Amino acid sequence: MMTAEKTLDLFMNDPIEYFDASITKMHTISRDEIEALQRQGMKKRFAAHRESIEIVRNLADRLDIKDVDEFNDVTPLLFAHTAFKSYPAALLDNKRFDLMTKWLQKQTSHDLSEVDVSNCEGIDDWIDRLDAGSKLRVITSSGTTGTISIIPKDDYGGFYGMRLWRLFLFQEFFKEPKPEDLDPVVDVIWPNYAEGKLGHLRMVGLLKNEFTGGDESRFHPLYSDAVSTDLMFLASKLRAAASRGELDRVKIDPALLARKDEFQAMEERRPVEMEKFFKRMATELAGKRVFMTGTYTLMYEIAKSGLEQGVKDVFAKNSAILTGGGTKGHVLPDNYMEVIKEFLGVDRIQEGYGMSEISAFHWACPENRYHVQPWVIPFLLDPDTSEPLPREGKQTGRAAFYDILNESHWGGIISGDEVTIDWDTPCPCGLASVPIEHEIIRYSEKEGTEDDRITCNATQEVQDEAVNFMREFEG
Amino acid sequence: MSEFRVPMFLRGQVVEDDWIEYGGRGASGGFEAPDPAKYVEQLPLENPMAMADLYEISFEEILDVLEALGQALDFEKNVHIKRAFEAGLVATNYPASMLKNSYTMLPYVFERETIRELAEARVGIDHLEGWVPRTLRDGRIVRIRAFGARTLHVPAGNGGLVSAITIIRNAITRSDAIIKVPSNDPLTAVAIAQTLADVAPNHPLTKHLAVAYWKGGDTEIEERLYRPEHVEKIVAWGGYASVKHVTRYIQPGLELISLDPKRSATIIGPEAFESEEVLSEVALRAATDIGMANQEGCTCARVIYVLCGTDASGIERANRLGERIYQQMMSLPEHISTKPKTFDRELRDHIDGSRMTDDWYRVVGGEENEGAVIVSQFDEAVDYAPMLSGRVANVVPVDDIKKVTDAVNSYTQTVGIYPESLKRELRNQLPLFGAQRLTSLGYACHVTSTMPQDAIEPVRRMCKWIVDEECDPEKVFPPWKAPAIS
Repeated sequence: MMTAEKTLDLFMNDPIEYFDASITKMHTISRDEIEALQRQGMKKRFAAHRESIEIVRNLADRLDIKDVDEFNDVTPLLFAHTAFKSYPAALLDNKRFDLMTKWLQKQTSHDLSEVDVSNCEGIDDWIDRLDAGSKLRVITSSGTTGTISIIPKDDYGGFYGMRLWRLFLFQEFFKEPKPEDLDPVVDVIWPNYAEGKLGHLRMVGLLKNEFTGGDESRFHPLYSDAVSTDLMFLASKLRAAASRGELDRVKIDPALLARKDEFQAMEERRPVEMEKFFKRMATELAGKRVFMTGTYTLMYEIAKSGLEQGVKDVFAKNSAILTGGGTKGHVLPDNYMEVIKEFLGVDRIQEGYGMSEISAFHWACPENRYHVQPWVIPFLLDPDTSEPLPREGKQTGRAAFYDILNESHWGGIISGDEVTIDWDTPCPCGLASVPIEHEIIRYSEKEGTEDDRITCNATQEVQDEAVNFMREFEG
Repeated sequence: MSEFRVPMFLRGQVVEDDWIEYGGRGASGGFEAPDPAKYVEQLPLENPMAMADLYEISFEEILDVLEALGQALDFEKNVHIKRAFEAGLVATNYPASMLKNSYTMLPYVFERETIRELAEARVGIDHLEGWVPRTLRDGRIVRIRAFGARTLHVPAGNGGLVSAITIIRNAITRSDAIIKVPSNDPLTAVAIAQTLADVAPNHPLTKHLAVAYWKGGDTEIEERLYRPEHVEKIVAWGGYASVKHVTRYIQPGLELISLDPKRSATIIGPEAFESEEVLSEVALRAATDIGMANQEGCTCARVIYVLCGTDASGIERANRLGERIYQQMMSLPEHISTKPKTFDRELRDHIDGSRMTDDWYRVVGGEENEGAVIVSQFDEAVDYAPMLSGRVANVVPVDDIKKVTDAVNSYTQTVGIYPESLKRELRNQLPLFGAQRLTSLGYACHVTSTMPQDAIEPVRRMCKWIVDEECDPEKVFPPWKAPAIS
């Protein structure tokens, strides 16, 4: 028998073990039971983070919050995505990575005192130094306000996230996993860049090992190159400068400009690699069981061009296909899922809902609702006042989450998404966990305001903008 | 649900028919307006000859009509204005106190001597009234007159004064105006036009004014209207997207006068810290520049550079000024500034982010979306500076003026400066970087209609400058007698 305290620790730090590696157990535990665990977990994690993360302590002190007992006690402490880009962008421009490290130290529970930033050349270099000198494996996302978000994830979190993916990809709800479900070896199809510090690209290292049985040759990226964070930052600055009428004031880091030819060559390689990628899928990978993931638009574009080339039913029926991530800026036809299925040759495509700022990924059930992972406490907030909406009846509001599993940084996040939750009516799929309705809209899209995010879809476009700008500095 | 109706004004006739519904800006309900597709052919002047009646009236008569119009725009008595005020409560971000204040100010804009000053200082009444002769070196006499033009106006919606100024400029230049109503100030232009029809029925000034709403960017309407055979000039105010959109119609014979998007800046010299009294006054003036019209205008202060240095004592001074500005802003009277009706969510998130980043920023206020002052603790503005609105300003301490000129660009309209000696020092430099108007701190939003605007002379540009040359062969060498040059 485990003690109660040990059980709580296990739930907080290793929910896979706690739920016997069964996704069905994770999502059929009764609401009362899980909420009791969540309250205790939240209380304990908050107490630890209050000590170990300076910005959490400062905010809690300012708001005079010493303890969180009920779910809504934590809502004043939830961070918007802006918390991860609250550093002055001038620090990056001026390569003050000592000060960037100081800023980051306040955001994380991990010790950064051993990180060596001397002669650090750029953002990618800095992130590599953080990798080498600490447990952090930060991820970045990009914005149009001239800054990029920097989210202090750690190595354990990344690894654990992949284990969870494997669980959900190869199991089905209401079927207890057989041993072969737990550790299948497949080829990984990655319609994306092979390296980078952006959230999804950070997973590459893990994907190579977690799904392929350690055989890197079974990992098949679309492009062999890495996405440069420094180039992404330049692109973000260019967008901001354009909107301020200040393009004439943008200064390009000479170290980045020196790599101009490299970036151009990369751009030129793309069509060639794209062709090879399709060829590989249609020949050497045909009929194989694979894992493939990409956003809706990416998957659709690939399927469409595949079908146009006469390629379809490419993979084995029991392949694991995962998509999500919204369709911002792109209008997909109503039958886009059918197009993807026809090309890939599968019957089932899994969908999930998540965000870079927290690790948890919420998988869709057969009823197309996203079921909130049991170690995550969901909230709906009034979009104008940020006050929590009642946790009863059917409510629509701004989604916010507190992720108990998150250790390296504060797990309380306010999203930019409008979501709907019916708190009282159980999901017809039979799972007990909280279901989020399939229709999710970013507020920025809804209100027609400029979105401050560049999704993974835009990566290529953004890089091209920056490369084109650099071309003007020939000579 | 429509909450009000926006009639169309067609050269004296008020159209209240063929209503169709439009969604408003923001969360508030929409409104109804006559279907523009049904009336678009009636908006432009039938033919250019129809402008002739404007040349049968004198400038004094134009002043008579505008003066009578101003007197009739009495907020307490004028039903059209009352209705515009009520629509404004729904359609704008302004609270009742400030909205009422802006309508109470309206008659003053039409004061006879103000309009005379506008005409004289910006164009020259003699050029508007008749042909002004001048003998040139080669002997010819040129006579120049400023004619009106058939002009379409896309005014900004942040304040009813823009509609009033548009109508005044149209009248004194003897032009013909089609005003496209902005959705965030839907009724002011119509209300002034209806009042004009009341005080001067069938007068040429009334017959040369049309006011209508259509959705900005509605190409079905705009492609039929924005043509050289209908209009010669377009005066477009406001946002990047709307001005950019209009440029697609520009062609030979159709000119754009662009009063495009602008931001403003503030520079405060070290003299502000000479005494407590001076600091209080500087803070009050800065607070006025930020808070007036709730920071909705392009002239409002946003980033405030303070030449106080960036050492510890400099930062301390900047923080002290930031606190004072916030206090003064909170004490501004209601008709000048209030807690904003709405607050930008993204901005609030950024402010919260800065609040947690106390190594770099100190945030004064803002917890209740009432307005805030963010004091940078080093010499850079916040990265989200272009978003500043809802009475949120950023105080930035700097060591020298170089840092400030870096931040001034072609989007910079007004620069509020303290003290006067600093302004004189900077006035030959700042325009090189893009600044267009330098003014005494505290007066950024206190604009007058009789100055150049956005570094151009829009009233002169609204005119067509026509030349009548008289060449007497006795005085001007006849070209037909010119010898061949070997």
